[in-house]
Amino acid sequence: MKNLKNYLSIALLVLGSGFIFTACDDDAPEPENTVELITNVTLIFTNTADNSTVTARAVDPDGIGAQPIQILDDIELAANTTYTLTYEILDAQDPTDPEDIGEEIEEEDDEHQLFYGFTEGAFVNPVGNGNIDNAADPVDYNDQDGNGCALGLDTSWTTGDAQTGTFRTRLQHQPDIKTCTTGANDGDTDFDLTFVLIIN
Amino acid sequence: MLAVWQVIMKFKVLLLIVYLSFIALQAIAISDCDRIISGRILDQSTGEPLPFAVIKVISSDNATISDEEGFFKLENICEDEVDFEVIFIGYKSVIHHHDFMNREHIANGHIVYMGQDESLLEGVVVEGNEIVGGLESLSVQQLGRSALSSKTNQSLAAAIGEIQGVTFTSLGSNVQLPVIHGLYGNRILIINNNVKHGFQNWGDKHTAEIDITSADNISVLKGASGVRYGSEALGGVVVLEGNPLSLSQEAYGGVSAGYQTNGRGYNANAFYGEGKERFSYHVGGSFRRVGDRSAPDYLLYNTGMGEYSVNAGFRYHLPQWDFKAYYSFVDQELGILRPSVARTIEKFAEIVEADEPILMRDFTYSIDEPRQDLAHHLATSEVDWYSSIGKLSLLASYQVNHRKEFDVRRNAELPVIDLTLTTTDNRLEWYHPEFGGMEGTVGLQFFSQNNDNNPGTGSTPFIPNYNNYRTSLFAVESLKKGENTYELGLRLDHEFISVRGRETNQDIFRNEFSYTNLTATFGMVREISSEWNFRSNVGTAWRAPNMAELYSFGQDGFRIVYGLWRYEADEDGQLSTDRVLTGQDREVNAEKGIKWINEFRYQKDRHDLALTGYVNYIDNFIFLRPGGLGSFLWGPGPIYIYDQADALFIGADVTYRHRFTENLKGTLGASYLWSRNVERDEPLINQPPINLNAEIGWDTPSFLGLDQSKLILQTSYTFRQFQAPRTVSPDDLISGEEEFTIDSEIFDFKDAPDGYFLANMLWQWQKGKLGGQLEVRNILNTSYRDYLNQMWLFADDLGRNVLITFNYNF
Repeated sequence: MKNLKNYLSIALLVLGSGFIFTACDDDAPEPENTVELITNVTLIFTNTADNSTVTARAVDPDGIGAQPIQILDDIELAANTTYTLTYEILDAQDPTDPEDIGEEIEEEDDEHQLFYGFTEGAFVNPVGNGNIDNAADPVDYNDQDGNGCALGLDTSWTTGDAQTGTFRTRLQHQPDIKTCTTGANDGDTDFDLTFVLIIN
Repeated sequence: MLAVWQVIMKFKVLLLIVYLSFIALQAIAISDCDRIISGRILDQSTGEPLPFAVIKVISSDNATISDEEGFFKLENICEDEVDFEVIFIGYKSVIHHHDFMNREHIANGHIVYMGQDESLLEGVVVEGNEIVGGLESLSVQQLGRSALSSKTNQSLAAAIGEIQGVTFTSLGSNVQLPVIHGLYGNRILIINNNVKHGFQNWGDKHTAEIDITSADNISVLKGASGVRYGSEALGGVVVLEGNPLSLSQEAYGGVSAGYQTNGRGYNANAFYGEGKERFSYHVGGSFRRVGDRSAPDYLLYNTGMGEYSVNAGFRYHLPQWDFKAYYSFVDQELGILRPSVARTIEKFAEIVEADEPILMRDFTYSIDEPRQDLAHHLATSEVDWYSSIGKLSLLASYQVNHRKEFDVRRNAELPVIDLTLTTTDNRLEWYHPEFGGMEGTVGLQFFSQNNDNNPGTGSTPFIPNYNNYRTSLFAVESLKKGENTYELGLRLDHEFISVRGRETNQDIFRNEFSYTNLTATFGMVREISSEWNFRSNVGTAWRAPNMAELYSFGQDGFRIVYGLWRYEADEDGQLSTDRVLTGQDREVNAEKGIKWINEFRYQKDRHDLALTGYVNYIDNFIFLRPGGLGSFLWGPGPIYIYDQADALFIGADVTYRHRFTENLKGTLGASYLWSRNVERDEPLINQPPINLNAEIGWDTPSFLGLDQSKLILQTSYTFRQFQAPRTVSPDDLISGEEEFTIDSEIFDFKDAPDGYFLANMLWQWQKGKLGGQLEVRNILNTSYRDYLNQMWLFADDLGRNVLITFNYNF
């Protein structure tokens, strides 16, 4: 029986190394500052003459949930006036703690570019219908990435005479492929929004 | 939660009490000189019996010779344990340590496989059929050490994919999962070194982190073997056995190294082991690296991989006792084809319709996003006790699986998925000797998993944190009557699951639920005549829905996926995802399957025919189907929802082997599967197409002074999957030409790829301790797309690949 005791202690020793209990933890995952998804886009047109602003918003509050997106405003601009267009881009899936995705885009400016499309003749500068259909078409970019290629978080627009049309803005994510000639179909789309454009 | 914990503790105490009381029952060994060792001697490479071999108890005069059929019986042994030696001229001698208290040896006898002197193969003694045993009525296919040694640069799934009726589904060349009779993922159980491989087994993008060079033998059980192995075995079980750790074995070892042209891959592995009188050990390790691979016409961007693994085992033997411990670690870094990434349906349309991938780069070994970083630890310890009441085996195991996935996205340096999964599997099994004609195994199992999301992904967890605890009781018994063997098995499982997750607004949701299930198996084996054999098995199996099926809420490429408890539909069929459901809102039943599998086997002279037919009906089959078109800031996107329905699988596998001469052998095989979602009356997606294959093997006459040289030519034809779902092009979806609602029938985005013919060649040679092989896969450099490789939508499969391996074994 003494042998048996010895064997038993070896048995317990061997098994002890394997019998590790899974702790019955009750923890939920830590909250994440989500930095990926865009839920709120606000276009901010600033009149260069008097610094007054016109804003237009598009939101998808539940992100990838089943609720459709909402275009909340039309873009109402004054005729024959020059504006600069800037953005507020947020991930507000957690409305109590929204993240500024605009900052993320600026940090990774060599992977991003905004492209524009609009009713032909809506603007005297830039002329044409924008660069979504053809990347070489004119758009007045005021900002550049580290490689000297356009970014598009800051652009200039001079309206034409009173009219109604559409204004489309499209953010492309182009990791590893962005050059000064890549277009609106290169890379993947982060947002692609079409607003009603009213010029009075 | 505390109550559950107490139950678990009680269970463990109970387990210990049961164990100790068995020890108290130990009978005193009788030491008359009436002990017998019986068995059969076979040639390792041909399986032919070896007559007139000498079997001798070491350091005694007690000896015998095998009869014409290779059978032997060594009588009048007095000791409790002996070493015996098998000697046959032209073959390497085999020494084996035998413990008489191990009843399995007595019941089943030994099978001694002897390797020829000039052959690389060492002799092996198989004692009974330990792991696979207990379910003789199931159709089982095995890959032994020699078959595995020619596959050191393959994944587990690809290696067993050559078995008839088994194939693999993949996400490119690096992520591969075995498919048995149309089922894969959570419906196939992978048993590695006696325990269920604990990995993130959900969806179809996760491979099992197993290095096949650590396996000594791989068996594939094609039946629903849930009784013996636990839940999830609806389609079958893959069993990997490690080194058998034989005692009294001279030091052995080997190194091998290889190179492959496709992907400029290189690999190396080494192993060493030794068996003394009382103990035995082995250690092994391997390394593999592959760069961007290529299709016949272009390089495949980001398809490289890296892997290293180590393993070690130790066994200590005392009379009537065996103590074993095993540890393995696998680290993998797997690249995924970059031009398969599409976040918008427009981009997806572009890459699906392109003839060639839209992104290319020069060859490199570097692995970028999307990629997976994986680390898997497995530790097991086992105590076996042999006595007159049979064998008692107590097993404890612990696994840690760490998975990180990186996507093409902003903050690509942060993993989008970062999960640590801890698995424990503890079992007490009693292999009892014949009692009233019945022989079998009774067992008690406690299995638990703890899954945690690691913070810092910048992304809402795709699946929640969870714990599950499963307690099981099972018995598998067999009864021999005349030419028939009957088998009956029963198993009772209770699984408790606790879930804590985050909604996208970072609110916490919680849930607790449980499943109780009874599974059964009934089988028979009948030897109709000396040539004909028939086996039949009806088995049930079940599995609880996995976390991805219940709680998925997120993007999978351009698709938006909602789990069963993340969506609801109103009367108008409008989807709502405003809340997280529970079992009260939507009942989600466990998946239950019943599989009937029959095998006829005819073996005579030069012929060997195996015909397998099966029917598998699965109740509450969980699948992913289209659920409408959503609108998002980046444009429209197809929504996919998990749903449940009943599914039916009917199929057959046939293999015919013919021995033309002693040196020339041929094999013909075919697999056919019909499957359907019978409840919705629609096809199932990603089902294996019909496959025909032919192989010819020739032991060439000696040349260049080689001891052995074998040439194998393999050909196969895979048909187009004509049962594939209908096709809806992404453009039709965007334009609204194809209306897309919650009731839409399942569809694919492209017609299933055309059938294709593939040819492979393998030359194996050996001279003394040095051996090697030269292999050419896809000799004709055929451009083809494999329907089961999800990348078929984006790019051609691999082009010609020449692989060279050298090995030195001692």
